[in-house]
Amino acid sequence: MGAVLVHIDLDGDRPHSASVSALAAGRAVASSWGATLYAAIVTHDPEKRGTVATDVVTTLARAGADKIVVAMSDVPIAPLWGAVGTAWRGVLDHLRPRLVLFGADAPSAPELGPRTGARLAARLLLRARAVGHDEVELRDPDGGCVRIGDSGAAVALIGGRHVAPRGDDDVDVVVLETPSGESAVELVDSPAMDVVPTGGAIVALGDDVAGDPTVLREAARLASVLGATLVGGPAVASAGAVALGRVVERRAPLAPELCVLVGNASLDLAGTSSVVRLGTTGGEGVDGALRGDIGGNLARLARTLEEP
Amino acid sequence: MSVLVWLGSAPPERSIRWLDGALAAAATLARPGAKEPRVHALAAGAPTWLDLAADRATRAGVGSVGVTTDLALDYLGWGQVVAAVARMLDATTVLVDEASRPARVPEVAAIAEHLDYAQVTQVVALARDGQDVHASRAAARTTQRVRLRGPAVIGVRIAGPAIEDYPTPTPSTAMRRLALEELGVEPSVLARRALPPRANREPRRTVAEVAEHLAVHVVPRPGGGA
Repeated sequence: MGAVLVHIDLDGDRPHSASVSALAAGRAVASSWGATLYAAIVTHDPEKRGTVATDVVTTLARAGADKIVVAMSDVPIAPLWGAVGTAWRGVLDHLRPRLVLFGADAPSAPELGPRTGARLAARLLLRARAVGHDEVELRDPDGGCVRIGDSGAAVALIGGRHVAPRGDDDVDVVVLETPSGESAVELVDSPAMDVVPTGGAIVALGDDVAGDPTVLREAARLASVLGATLVGGPAVASAGAVALGRVVERRAPLAPELCVLVGNASLDLAGTSSVVRLGTTGGEGVDGALRGDIGGNLARLARTLEEP
Repeated sequence: MSVLVWLGSAPPERSIRWLDGALAAAATLARPGAKEPRVHALAAGAPTWLDLAADRATRAGVGSVGVTTDLALDYLGWGQVVAAVARMLDATTVLVDEASRPARVPEVAAIAEHLDYAQVTQVVALARDGQDVHASRAAARTTQRVRLRGPAVIGVRIAGPAIEDYPTPTPSTAMRRLALEELGVEPSVLARRALPPRANREPRRTVAEVAEHLAVHVVPRPGGGA
């Protein structure tokens, strides 16, 4: 059985939590399929020392990695294919993996995930979870699936929380020296942005729920679970439920990956990938709709999603 | 600089404002004073969708190319088609309207891989600077500002004006229509990249079903993924 490879983004001096979650999903798949699980990090290492922080190695070993691959790049690391693509290609060419996983919410995933799929001519799942016990498979919400018996390579961006049983600290570290590359994409700077209108998730509150403290509290709880930005109209802002700068007008151009509309929230959802409504009936292009008690449904959703 | 804008293989799911935004962004990259249109919009699929794409391209002041086909392909298949058109038009910059349909996001990578171009995704603003392009990219809670040199595929999420309604497009003679064979692409071979049938999209109606749908969006907790 071929290799299962997980790309690891670093968040400061630690593995990014989305990458660790993807590694846990990879552990479940690799154990089920009888495959070796590799965790790979691209590091900026112009002096070719080939070292990586002990804490990082320990975290990845305990999260289930069988082997850790450290790809040394002379290009400063940024979550762009133009920055790390050459080094990452070196890892792919070295391991020729059957399955490659990314944390869907890891910084590099949007740039590296699909390009990895294209490079391997692989099937691609954009937000998938590992499901099953004895025969683990990957599934996305649209019915896409990767199973042990499938032919060809696959790439999946792993969403949600996955937890691996704690592994031991014993792990092999393989250092790869990758070719130098002159990037056609130069990162100039990365200023902070208050609102994320064109990605991620948002929970939008309608003016009709502005006076309901239960709804406001549970909506904030759901937004926290989803890592979503809480937005609303002027009445919601007046109630103090959303921060300044999170007030959105009905025609504001938003393109989040997920939008949860609470109450009569009305937004231009033209660029939204997935829409869920609470308190109103569904409609065309809606993926989920819950009628009835808004506060109760928000609480039940948050509680369900908070469970490990 | 020759620019190709990939509008996709089906009309936008919800409105055309992001399609209009991609066309407007492409028009700003055009070579000033060029006699021939150096920006082309590209759409593929059913004739009614091609008519709409041609109409919006004409309104944006750019040329248009259409590939008529009833194939439903995965990201690699459409990447192959777009790359073939880009080669035919000598396009050195390919914009992809990422926002109108989520399935288009990975097509940026597929086109770039086929053409061996650089890529940048999730771009929210574009400006030309001589032969370079400056792009602002949404990344988590920051904006990355990047400079692109040379050929590139750029996934854009740039909105046009809000549109409540628009005139029904009529069949356009302005669009250059191509068959796959004219691009050197064999339909029977391309059909191997046909998409498998996916689950229907009936809305989830129970808390359990909606929670299952949302579960892939739950953010892992720092410090171990749990």
